[in-house]
Amino acid sequence: MVQYNFKKITVVPNGKDFIDIILSRTQRQTPTVVHKGYSISRLRQFYMRKVKYTQQNFYDKLSTIVDEFPRLDGIHPFYGDLLHVLYNKDHYKLALGQINTARNLISKIAKDYVKLLKYGDSLYRCKSLKVAALGRMCTVMKRITPSLAYLEQIRQHMARLPSIDPNTRTILICGYPNVGKSSFMNKITRADVDVQPYAFTTKSLFVGHTDYKYLRYQVIDTPGILDRPFEDRNIIEMCSITALAHLRAAVLFFLDISGSCGYTIAQQAALFHSIKSLFMNKPLVIVCNKTDLQPLDGIPEADMKLVMEMKAEALKTVMGQGGEAANDEGVLLTMSTLNEEGVSAVKNAACERLLDQRVELKMKSKKINDCLNRFHVAIPKPRDQKERPPCIPQAVLEAKAKEAAEKEKRKTEKDLENENGGAGVYSASLKKHYLLASDEWKEDIMPEILDGHNVYDFVDPDILLRLEELEREEGIREAEEEDEDFEMDGQELTPEEREALAEIRKKKSLLIQQHRIKKSTAESRPTVPRKFDKDKKFTTQRMGRQLSTLGLDPSMAIHCARSKSRGRKRERSVDRVDRDNGDAMDVDMDQPNKKQRLRSRSAPRSRSTSRPPGELVPGEGFKDSAQKIKAHKLGKKSVKKRNKDARRGEADRVIPTLKPKHLFSGKRSIGKTDRR
Amino acid sequence: MATRLMFENSCEVGVFSKLTNAYCLVAIGGSESFYSAFETDLGGIIPVVKTSIGGTRIIGRLCAGNKNGLLLPHTTTDQELQHLRNSLPDQVVVQRVDEKLSALGNCIACNDHVALTHTDLDKETEELIADILGVEVFRQTIAGNILVGSYCTFSNRGGLVHPHTSIEDLDELSTLLQVPLVAGTVNRGSEVVAAGLTVNDWVAYCGTDTTATELSVIESVFKLREAQPSAIVDEMRRSLIDTYV
Repeated sequence: MVQYNFKKITVVPNGKDFIDIILSRTQRQTPTVVHKGYSISRLRQFYMRKVKYTQQNFYDKLSTIVDEFPRLDGIHPFYGDLLHVLYNKDHYKLALGQINTARNLISKIAKDYVKLLKYGDSLYRCKSLKVAALGRMCTVMKRITPSLAYLEQIRQHMARLPSIDPNTRTILICGYPNVGKSSFMNKITRADVDVQPYAFTTKSLFVGHTDYKYLRYQVIDTPGILDRPFEDRNIIEMCSITALAHLRAAVLFFLDISGSCGYTIAQQAALFHSIKSLFMNKPLVIVCNKTDLQPLDGIPEADMKLVMEMKAEALKTVMGQGGEAANDEGVLLTMSTLNEEGVSAVKNAACERLLDQRVELKMKSKKINDCLNRFHVAIPKPRDQKERPPCIPQAVLEAKAKEAAEKEKRKTEKDLENENGGAGVYSASLKKHYLLASDEWKEDIMPEILDGHNVYDFVDPDILLRLEELEREEGIREAEEEDEDFEMDGQELTPEEREALAEIRKKKSLLIQQHRIKKSTAESRPTVPRKFDKDKKFTTQRMGRQLSTLGLDPSMAIHCARSKSRGRKRERSVDRVDRDNGDAMDVDMDQPNKKQRLRSRSAPRSRSTSRPPGELVPGEGFKDSAQKIKAHKLGKKSVKKRNKDARRGEADRVIPTLKPKHLFSGKRSIGKTDRR
Repeated sequence: MATRLMFENSCEVGVFSKLTNAYCLVAIGGSESFYSAFETDLGGIIPVVKTSIGGTRIIGRLCAGNKNGLLLPHTTTDQELQHLRNSLPDQVVVQRVDEKLSALGNCIACNDHVALTHTDLDKETEELIADILGVEVFRQTIAGNILVGSYCTFSNRGGLVHPHTSIEDLDELSTLLQVPLVAGTVNRGSEVVAAGLTVNDWVAYCGTDTTATELSVIESVFKLREAQPSAIVDEMRRSLIDTYV
C-alpha cells in the first residue's frame, strides 16, 4: 500500500542560497591550488573538474526536488485533486517543469564549457572559461528563483496536511457550515477540532480516529459547503468536495433541523440534491442534528416532506450499490451533539454500513480465498465416547463469583520488590512457595547432586569423629617431634658426649657473637685485603693452630706449605728419586723421550696432564694425529711472515675513516646528494 | 480473560512461561513484573513457580506438560528438577526425558487429554508422554510445519493454530483434539502462536503487540470471559474480513 507522507520532502532553498550552497561546496570539495608552471593538460583538467563538479551538484540537488515532490498524476486521485485545489495543478507543474528545464540547461552549459576547456591554452584562459561556465549556471538558477520559492511554500503547507489514508475505513462528515460537524467529530474522536459558533470555523480537512468492533475508523471533518455553482466555490469548500468525490467512505450528511445555523431546511435540501451525485455508491446517513432545539417531529409539513425526499434519495444510493434496499433504518438519524443524544447511534450506524459495504466488496475479490481458513471455526466431530472435560479449579470459579462481591488486592511479588528496593536490588527466594510436608523444610539446603548421585550418600557419617581421631594422633606425633627438637638437657648423655655438646654450644655462641660484631661494624670498617688482615691472613701458624684444634697433626701440612712457598732448590735428594720410581714406574713405562720424562718428574703430582699437541679430538675433523700436526704447522707457517713484519691481519681492530673528506666538501648542485 | 504481557521487552511470552491447569512455570527475569502478572491471576489457585531449565530462560519452549505431569529435557540439572519437584504438588509427575530433540515445548503440544507431537520423536518418548501426561499421542504436522509445539496452542476448551492451516486440516485436527480450532495469529501477525500466547482453561496471556482483533479471536476460541468460538463466524466475521483481506 502506498503511504502518503509529504512530511519528508527536503527543504527547497531559495535561489540565492542554492547558488551559495553549490559554489561553496565546489570550493571546498575540489582542489584549489594551481600553478602557472603546470603542464597545460593538468591546468585544463583542474578547471574541467570544477565545472563538472558544480554541474553534478546542481543536477543532484535539482533532481531531489523533482523526484521528491509528488507527481499529481501518479498519486491517489484524492490527493491529486486536493493538491490541485490547494496549489493549482498548472502552477505546480510549471514550477517543477522549470526546475527540470534548469537542470537540463545546466548540464548542457557544463558540456559546452568542458568542450571549450579542452582548447584552453593557458591558465588565464582556462580560468576565464570556468568563471563563465559557473556564471551561466548561476544565471540559470537565478531565473528559477520564483519557482523555488513557490515550491518551498508548497512544501511547508504539504507537511502540515493531515495524513489521510485514502484506502482505509473512512467516515466523512459533510454539510452546511455551522451545522455541528466539528462538535460531532469531537464527540466520537479525540481530534480536538476547534468549534466556534460561526460559519467556516473549519477551514481545511481534519482527521480523527475512532474504534468500532475491533476496528479503527478514520473520521474526516470537512469544511462546510454552500449551495452554489461548482465554479464559484472557494478553496475551502473545494477541499470538502474533493474528499467527497474521491474517498470511498461512509458519508454523514448533517442537517440542522432547528435552522439555527442560518440556513433553512429547504436550502440544506437544495445543497443535498446538488451534490448528491457525489454520494453515489457510498453508504449515506442523513443526520438531523440539534434535536435539543427542535425535535424532528415538530418541524413543519413542507420541511418534513423535504427531509423524506432526501431520505428516499439516500436509500437510492444504497440501491445503486445493488444491495438490499428494503432496510431503511440507519439512513435517517437524529441526534444532538449538545446533550449527546444519539451520537453513538449515528457513529454505529455509519460504521456498520461502511463495514457491510466493504465486506461485500471484499467477498467478491479473489484474495478472500487465501484467507477463508481464518474465518472458519473447526468444530470437532465426536470420535469416541470419552469425556474430555475442561479442568478449572474450584478456586477460580469461586474467585469469579467473589469478584462481583468484592475485589481484594493480593500482595504480589512486584509490590514486595518495590518495597524492598526495586528491580535489581530485591531478590526473591525461589524456595518460598515450596509444597512440602513441613514448612520448616523450605529453607533446607538442597543436596548437592553429581551425576545423579547424592554426594552425601558417599560421605562417612562418622567422618568427623575419625577426623578428630586423626587430628589427635597427629597432635601427639607433632608433640613428639617437638620434644626431639628440644634442647637436650644432658640427662642421658655420657660424660664425653656432654663435653662435646658443651664444646659445640660454645663454638656456636662464639660464631654468633663474631658474626654480630662483624655485622654491627660492617659499615665503618675499612676493607682490608686478606693479605694484610692479621686475623685472616693465611699463615702457617694459623693453619697449625686450626688443624690442631681439629685434633690433627699439622707438621706435615706446614712442611708442605713451606716447601712450596720457599722456592725450589736443586734436588738431589735420594728419597725423591725413590718416590718417583716407586710411584710413576708403571705409568711411565714407554715414555718417548727424555724431555717428557723429566717434565713429568718435575711437575707436581696433583696436576692433571694436559693434552699432547697432536692428540686427536673427535669433531675437529682430522684423520689422524699426523694430519693434525701437519695442519698446525701449515697454519703457523702462513702467519709467520706477517707476524714477523707486524703487518695488519684480519683479527686486528680497525677504525674506518669516520668523515671521509670527499663526501663532505665541495659544492653540490641538484641531485648530487645521493651519488657522492 | 486474556491479558497482554511482555517479558523484558519481548512479546514472546509463550517462550518464557509455561501455563497449565495445575501449575504455571515462569522464567526468572530481572524484575518481578512478569511473574507478578501471573501471580495476580493465578496466585493461591495454582502454584506459580519461577525456574530455569538447563540454566536458560526459554522454559516454555523446553518443557511440555499438563495438569498430570511435566516433561523436562535432558539438559535440566538435578537442582532444577529438585526445585520443580518441591514446588509442584505431588499429583504432578515431574520427569526428565532423554530425548534427542531437547526443545520439548516446540515438539509437543498438549492439553489434559490429547497431545500432538513432532513426527521424529522417539518411541520411548512417545510412551513417556502417554504415561506421564496421561494423553493420547498423535504424530502430526501443522500447515506443513513439524514443530507442532510452536505453531499451535490449545487448551481443553479450544485451540489456535498456524494461520496457513487449510480448512480440511483444521477439521481433521479438531476431530483429533476434540476441541474447536481456529487459524490465527498473535503479536500483530506472528505465525508462531505458541510463542506469543500461553493459555489454560480459564486464562490466557499474550504478547503486548497483539491487536484487538487477535485478542478477541483468542478470547472467543478459548471460551474465556463467556465468549464462544461461534462468535468468530458470527459477529466478528466482518471485522476479520475487513482486517485480513
